[in-house]
Amino acid sequence: MNTGAKGSEMNAQGVTSLTAAAHELKSPLALVRQLALRLDAGDVSDQQRRLLRQITLTSERALRLTSDLTRSARLNDMPDALFELEPINPEQLCRDIADELAPLFEAHGRSLKVSPRTHPLLLVANRDLLRRILMNFSDNALYYSEPGTAVHMQIKALKKSGTIRVGIRDFGPALSSDMWRGLQKKLKHSPQAVHARPQSSGLGLYIAGQFAEAMQGTIGATRHRDGATFYVELQASRQLSLL
Amino acid sequence: MSAEPRLSVLLVEDDPWLAELEADILVSAGYRVEHAPHAPSAIAKIDQSQPDVIVLDVLLTGSTAFALLHELQSYGDTKGVPIILCTNMAETLRLDDLAPYGVRRIIDKTTMQPDDLPAAIKGVTV
Repeated sequence: MNTGAKGSEMNAQGVTSLTAAAHELKSPLALVRQLALRLDAGDVSDQQRRLLRQITLTSERALRLTSDLTRSARLNDMPDALFELEPINPEQLCRDIADELAPLFEAHGRSLKVSPRTHPLLLVANRDLLRRILMNFSDNALYYSEPGTAVHMQIKALKKSGTIRVGIRDFGPALSSDMWRGLQKKLKHSPQAVHARPQSSGLGLYIAGQFAEAMQGTIGATRHRDGATFYVELQASRQLSLL
Repeated sequence: MSAEPRLSVLLVEDDPWLAELEADILVSAGYRVEHAPHAPSAIAKIDQSQPDVIVLDVLLTGSTAFALLHELQSYGDTKGVPIILCTNMAETLRLDDLAPYGVRRIIDKTTMQPDDLPAAIKGVTV
């Protein structure tokens, strides 16, 4: 067996184990969440309610990751599978995500805002995969933004490439030059494990890259002096221009 | 005048803590609840007394829920019992595919709220 084949086999085995682990984790996590919700519905003190809320939000975060992992594994099993792509208004999708994640951000003393656009844009994507990518980036931004700041969801048309960029901008510590170079190099070869920040395993970005690739899109990052933007770029829909 | 009889729910769930939690919610909502931890036990309970609704987990100890669904569909007296799947695998299942097996609702355990189960039962029994 050559090294490359051995490497892919080990990678496939790793993915299989990871998926099995994700499946196994779902049940206990769902149970923890249900137990917390049940207690929360009863007579508890404010402090207990706050802790129960944190348990619920944390288990929901872990459940999202297990769900992304199982979805990722299905993509690995069927790399050529076709996904239903449709014109999507990214601003509306961002608003839905911001609403869904509002309790999580609020519990961490942060907020998630959508930068409004005057003219609506449409992109071509699979709704489920795009939603998972943006949830993933938002979750990443939450943990790397400073308390009291807002994470911004920004949508931009890139006319030259005919794509739409949906970015999640956080306001936190800047990436060092070394880390930035490493990130850029890895993003070019995504999907693969990308170590976005010192404490991150990069698993979330690996999955986001894989989901973007399944929609013929790409992911990337921009460094700012006060944080970073992680983005996904997808083909713009011609539907509006045809109207 | 006698009180309206309470609807009976057969809860097929192999996790005893989750079963206890769900049964507690359903009893509070006014239902009579029987619990079966696996498919053979569910069949035995259905033979004793046919429930008005079955709440069914998918990945059970031993045979999966699909074996039970086939079994229930093969008998005239059980094929009409509405079934609610309550599962961690909801994102991989389509109601349209399972409707021929008596499945009327699919609840995602990973996102469900405590009221979802009584609401789903109400939805399939009115």
